[in-house]
Amino acid sequence: MIDMNTTLGIASKKIRIYGVISLLILAFILPLILGMNLYILTILILMVIFIIYASSWNFLTYTGQGSLGHAAFFGLGGYASALVASASGVSPYITMLIGGGAAALVGLFIGAICVRLKEWFLAMVTFGFAIIIQTLMVSQFVDITGGWDGIAAPRLISSSVPNYLLIEYYSILVIAIIVIIIFWLILKSPVGLAFAAIRENEMEARAAGIDPVRYRLFAFLVSAYFSGVAGALEIHHLGYITPEIFGVDISFWPIIYSISGGLGTLAGPIVGTIVITVLWDGLQALGLTYARFIIIGLLLVLIIIFLPRGLISLPDRIRISLEKRRKTP
Amino acid sequence: MAGGVDVILQVLIWGLYAGCIYILLATGLNLIFGVMKVVNFAHGELLMLGAYITFTFYAVSGFNPYVLLAASVPTLILAGVVIERLCFRPILGTGKLNEIFISIGLIYIIQNAAALIWTDEWRIIHSPFEKITISIFGVNMPLDYLIIIITTILILVILYLFLRKTRLGKAMRATSQNRKGAMLMGINVERMDMLSFGIGAGLAGAAGTLWVVSGQVFNPYMGSIPAIKAFAIVIIGGLGSIPGAIIGGLIYGIAENFAIFTLGGAWKDAVSFIILILVLIIRPTGIFGESAE
Repeated sequence: MIDMNTTLGIASKKIRIYGVISLLILAFILPLILGMNLYILTILILMVIFIIYASSWNFLTYTGQGSLGHAAFFGLGGYASALVASASGVSPYITMLIGGGAAALVGLFIGAICVRLKEWFLAMVTFGFAIIIQTLMVSQFVDITGGWDGIAAPRLISSSVPNYLLIEYYSILVIAIIVIIIFWLILKSPVGLAFAAIRENEMEARAAGIDPVRYRLFAFLVSAYFSGVAGALEIHHLGYITPEIFGVDISFWPIIYSISGGLGTLAGPIVGTIVITVLWDGLQALGLTYARFIIIGLLLVLIIIFLPRGLISLPDRIRISLEKRRKTP
Repeated sequence: MAGGVDVILQVLIWGLYAGCIYILLATGLNLIFGVMKVVNFAHGELLMLGAYITFTFYAVSGFNPYVLLAASVPTLILAGVVIERLCFRPILGTGKLNEIFISIGLIYIIQNAAALIWTDEWRIIHSPFEKITISIFGVNMPLDYLIIIITTILILVILYLFLRKTRLGKAMRATSQNRKGAMLMGINVERMDMLSFGIGAGLAGAAGTLWVVSGQVFNPYMGSIPAIKAFAIVIIGGLGSIPGAIIGGLIYGIAENFAIFTLGGAWKDAVSFIILILVLIIRPTGIFGESAE
């Protein structure tokens, strides 16, 4: 029932290993090839941050859950980290862990409400929490959050340091690799098997002594934590945070990245984020504003219909269709 | 004391009017869900399209905007049929998350296509009855609100008659009660899918026209929030239950307006979710909902 290969990503082990190695090499040498172009470095930094964020969102889908409101965690991580970092003067690299903690705490609360809910109910409630938290930020907590104007956040690396963007890029890349290794370790442990059992058939999982509520909550907690870390990284990179961070777009992007790459796989969100980011910024360079949203939307619809396992299943699809053609001359 | 009652009545009427638009959206969603077991998260975008079609026809023809229901509803029915055929039918039965995700794709496509055609600035048109208010129970109420409430009731009555009295309507209800059984009785269930999606979209188009004539502003991104509220109503009222949608819509419209009145405008959108979450904590399948599966 549970195919470990599809759980981990690409079907063929060889392709998987080569893919990981070449991606890692590319990630490390890309800024050197492209030179110290600030525009491209900024895109790369945001891309890696969104890889963390999309992977965290995707982590939820391993238990068969989904969320339309992950911006709540992304934003809370950002606010908590920004506030702690400005008040204490501690490096954002440390406070981002506190940001993640704040997001996880709220994630635990939201998760406790959501574990009993399914599908649309879950989608609506998670969506709702993002809006409720945004409302709280601009009404009840306006004294500490600055309302709609937002607040300044200390930079990850001060811009007076030479090559500060390059340092930011490499540090965030290392964080992303660590996060993905953590996800990988969890998923290949018995916990990952329990996730798959719950996703495939909750009743059977229960019969086998797996408590779905506990595992779902755990997935929510982990997902919220690293979404918060990603949020903290983003706002410390930008240098400010506003309640816009709780917007619908921020909730939808990780979904788009994960689906286009391949849902419920480690490689999916990474591939998806890279492909969509390249497409997105490429279309922007061509001067398309509204049309690029339409193109991304169309791509999403086409992938869901024709490539339900996402872009990472494309090599296998092509190989299978080639083999078929060879067999029937 | 008399002043207090007046204010309450006033808020009640605002709520009633706001409830009408939510009811049309929620009823459409429920009709689609009943037949197809699909939730169209891009429903608000259909409302927005309805608003823009009314706006365009109004700018071109100068007709009374209420008459333009005759333009927005058929156009949206057609749009609904096309969307069902191209996007939802291929993924039917492939998992409920897929429907949510394909809706997200649709939201991006429709919103930005509208922004390309009509630009993204806020628009408004003025109803010919804008300045007329009437007095009911000592409360002043714009004539437009009354017309909107009556129009909504009329639409719901027509829908009721269609579902109860016509062959097609009965076939639709049969499909929503038991898809396999309906299929065995020779009902073309796929045609019923298209039809229910079309009618649902048409109701959203009607809601769009009513939104515009009531003098509310609109832009290509305005659809999401009313649609989300409609989902909240659908969930509160129970998935697939049309009476639930009507009662839920009324309760919701009134509750929202009381919340704005007591807590302030910033809470307008959040209140819906607080209500929704409270309902779901108590009853995970909605107040009028049957068991989940």
